[in-house]
Amino acid sequence: MASFLLRKIRRELDSLTSSQLIIVLFLLTFFLLLPLGSILYKGFVVGNHFSLAYVEQTFKDPQMIKIPPNTALMKFTQIYRFKLLPNGSRALIPINILAIGSEGPDFGYILNSIFVSTSVMIFASIIGVIAAFIIARYDFPGKNVFRVLLFIPLLATPFVNAYVIGKVLGTSGLVNYLLNNVFHLPYKLVISGLPAVIIIQTLSFFPIVYMNVLSSIINIDPSMEEQAENLGAHGLKLFRTITFPLSLPGLASGATLVFVFSMEDLGAPIGLAGAFGNGLHTHLMSFYVFSQFQQAYSLSLVNPEAYIVATIMLTIATIGFIIIKKYVSLRQYAMLSKGGRWSPRLSRPKWLGLAGVYAFMTLLVITASFPQFGVIVLSLTNWATSGPLPTHLTPNYILALVEKPGVVQAIKNSATYSGLAIAITVLLGTSAAYIVARRNITGREAIDVLATIPIVIPGIIIAVGFLVFFGSLFPNTLFDPFINPGTLLIFTYTVRRSPFLTRSVFAGLQQTHVSLEEAAMNLGASRTRTFFSITIPLVAANVIGGSILSFVYMMNETSTSLILGSHQPSQGPITFLMSQVIYGSGQVSAVSIAAALGVLLMTLQIIAIAVSNYILKQRVAFLGV
Amino acid sequence: MVNVKLVNVTKRFGRVVAVNKVTLVAEHGEFFTLLGPSGCGKTTTLRIIAGLEYADEGKIIFDDTDVTDLPPYKRGTGMVFQNYALWPHMTVFDNIAYGLKIKKLPKDEVRRRVKEVLDLIKLTGMEDRYPTQLSGGQQQRVALARALVVEPKVLLLDEPLSNLDAKLRVEMREEIQRIQKKLGITAIYVTHDQEEAMVISDRIAVLNQGTVMQVGTPQELYKRPRNLFVATFLGRYTIAEGLVKEVSSEGLVLLHTPAVKLLGIVTSPEIRLKEGDKAVAIIRPHAFKFHEPQTKSSPITGVIEWVSYLGPYYEARLKVGKLSFLMTVDPSIKVEVGMKLTVYVHPEDIVIFPAKALREESYGAELK
Repeated sequence: MASFLLRKIRRELDSLTSSQLIIVLFLLTFFLLLPLGSILYKGFVVGNHFSLAYVEQTFKDPQMIKIPPNTALMKFTQIYRFKLLPNGSRALIPINILAIGSEGPDFGYILNSIFVSTSVMIFASIIGVIAAFIIARYDFPGKNVFRVLLFIPLLATPFVNAYVIGKVLGTSGLVNYLLNNVFHLPYKLVISGLPAVIIIQTLSFFPIVYMNVLSSIINIDPSMEEQAENLGAHGLKLFRTITFPLSLPGLASGATLVFVFSMEDLGAPIGLAGAFGNGLHTHLMSFYVFSQFQQAYSLSLVNPEAYIVATIMLTIATIGFIIIKKYVSLRQYAMLSKGGRWSPRLSRPKWLGLAGVYAFMTLLVITASFPQFGVIVLSLTNWATSGPLPTHLTPNYILALVEKPGVVQAIKNSATYSGLAIAITVLLGTSAAYIVARRNITGREAIDVLATIPIVIPGIIIAVGFLVFFGSLFPNTLFDPFINPGTLLIFTYTVRRSPFLTRSVFAGLQQTHVSLEEAAMNLGASRTRTFFSITIPLVAANVIGGSILSFVYMMNETSTSLILGSHQPSQGPITFLMSQVIYGSGQVSAVSIAAALGVLLMTLQIIAIAVSNYILKQRVAFLGV
Repeated sequence: MVNVKLVNVTKRFGRVVAVNKVTLVAEHGEFFTLLGPSGCGKTTTLRIIAGLEYADEGKIIFDDTDVTDLPPYKRGTGMVFQNYALWPHMTVFDNIAYGLKIKKLPKDEVRRRVKEVLDLIKLTGMEDRYPTQLSGGQQQRVALARALVVEPKVLLLDEPLSNLDAKLRVEMREEIQRIQKKLGITAIYVTHDQEEAMVISDRIAVLNQGTVMQVGTPQELYKRPRNLFVATFLGRYTIAEGLVKEVSSEGLVLLHTPAVKLLGIVTSPEIRLKEGDKAVAIIRPHAFKFHEPQTKSSPITGVIEWVSYLGPYYEARLKVGKLSFLMTVDPSIKVEVGMKLTVYVHPEDIVIFPAKALREESYGAELK
């Protein structure tokens, strides 16, 4: 038996497999497992012993879990303002301000996060399922326009989009300007706090549900529904009994991803803080961890509760990953996204239905994409300083991208880190995908999990892990996060975004019959030679497509950029600079420079999505995560 | 050119035993076929020979060399895959030349040998095409050429004809046989199509559930199946159950069925029957004679209940009690439904097995 095992090991571990294993295990151990492990160490080891003291402290902290909770939802106040009357005189008239979210609800950081993420997941699911069903099953003029517009919320413009929402919904924002000065109504509506976070996140994350459900519905064999119709089911009954259950895997993975993304999101709380100042919208786990580590120039200054909060987030993310794995394994998920192979079942709604479809879609598209359009306006005009509406165009903010040294430096930093990270990612992603797809070795499942789980692990948690692990063990080296955050950013980018490439290559390998590689080996090519002369050329499109997407997500990477970047601002990437000008600097016009950076990121994303979709010939795949 | 020996080869996938203690020898220059229903382990056995899977137990020996632990690229086999596995990013020339380039042959020789093999498979002038520009039959030829051009020790073919249409399949199997005989190479061929196996093979191993049921020439397997699986898997037949009435000294068995009395043979020394045992008889459709022969034979009298025209011959069913005998009828003999008829079967054409084998090993055979 022992000799059999030895023979097996010798056979399976040829030079290609061994080097790939070493690459994958080294990168994932040093830049994922050990940093995450060090968070647990900090949270659960006091002195030299395992201890739950910090857990107890955290759960007893009223800031973390508020007992009793504050369940106030809105506050009504009246103020008086002078108003110019048509006859030229002035009158003092009352204005009623309805403030939602500013006073509550507030359940403490931990419960707030869970409350927000659950709400976002539910709302995003409802909107996403309806939108997906309409697009998948109805044919109506202008459908393709809506299809494109539904992707706009996915274009990340970190911080600025939330700022735009504040600018529109704030006390003196566009909505209230319309209410008071155009319609002359004596009311003001101000939404902030948790409700504002929920609205912003729902609008930016519902496309994830939409796309996952859409690809599920498109992949339902039409004969499933035709058989049900043949047996007498139609309309809502057909949807409830056949279509919806068959699209559940898409909903499950989409909803779970939305929950996790909402939990780790920093864009909404930081953007709202920029618009309204620090309020209840910052009482979230993500913001708590962020604020603890952003300001900490020494780890000893960090409140140990931050490690417990980080552990909670890590645990929830892991549970989310297990749910996705269980419901639709990521493998199946890749299959799900292949796009329609069937001729679609489309029906033309009658005029009443058509009116409903247009009303829903228009409202959705406008509310969901106005932040992105607002960012464009902000970057091209004086809107940041002009009040509710912009008054003139200016090229200054776009020009700042090439003229202002700090801005140029940030763009250079981002491009350098992302470029280097892509090189490592290609090595890591192709190796991991090849091992998982093609090699039958013990522990393959573990590699599969490790290589894909970063999709759900909050970036803040990875950044904190890097700070703790490399800050404690590698002081004053190239890997010291307080001196050289840039080096570590390359690796956080690699670890966080490599799953896109891994999954892309994995999907390519699955679609390529293994006999193509076996034929080469049969003709005398070693595994290494086969890998480079057959396997890689066959999945080249997937490598390139995956790399482009990974690259763009690296350029947009927020949470690790913020936490690590803050320790050496000259090494900070684009998103760090954006957060600084929104949240940090008092100079208002700087917001417009952040918006110009946002426009740059959006442009990159559109180009990347177009190019990678062209290369991969897939309309739906990979965008979602 | 080598002989290929498998000794007690076993392969498990989880709890499923895909290949169970298989021992086989394919001789020098022999066309050897692994035949069996889907899931019988024939493809796995072939892949073990190629080194694409490794056996859990047992040895694979090429001539006198133990290759059990050699990786596929050191075995020197040439394999033709079921889906051809032509590389879509390479031209026909590059596909065929791949193995030669790996051997680092000089460019001139590579070109010469690719040209030779293209002549052999009758695809001269197609060098610069890509696989997608070829028809199914042409792709098949290129796959064969790619395996042959490296002058492999043994040619392995995994259901190479299953993706072709019926007519092309017949042409290609003759072509493959012609090339194999011309090169004198040892070939191991996997198929589930018994007719294909019969036509193309020197010898066939019939596999079922990972086990070798019988090895022999097509004639041996068809006429002398040594177990009920081989008898029922190959060709068509009529099965009749009854009681053994008498076992003669020369080995003839007299079987009394409710409808007829049949005198037949047993094919394996392992089969022991005695008077009073339950047994079944297997009779092939072509075994029925319409004139009483000189030698001992079993007469069967019944009524024609069904006739079907197949071109070169008719098929008919002869109803006798509850039994219905399937027989082929020469067009020169007039048969029609309702006709009463007596036919005769030679003892050599009636093979008798113990009835319990019907449950244990037959391939989908049922008693009426």
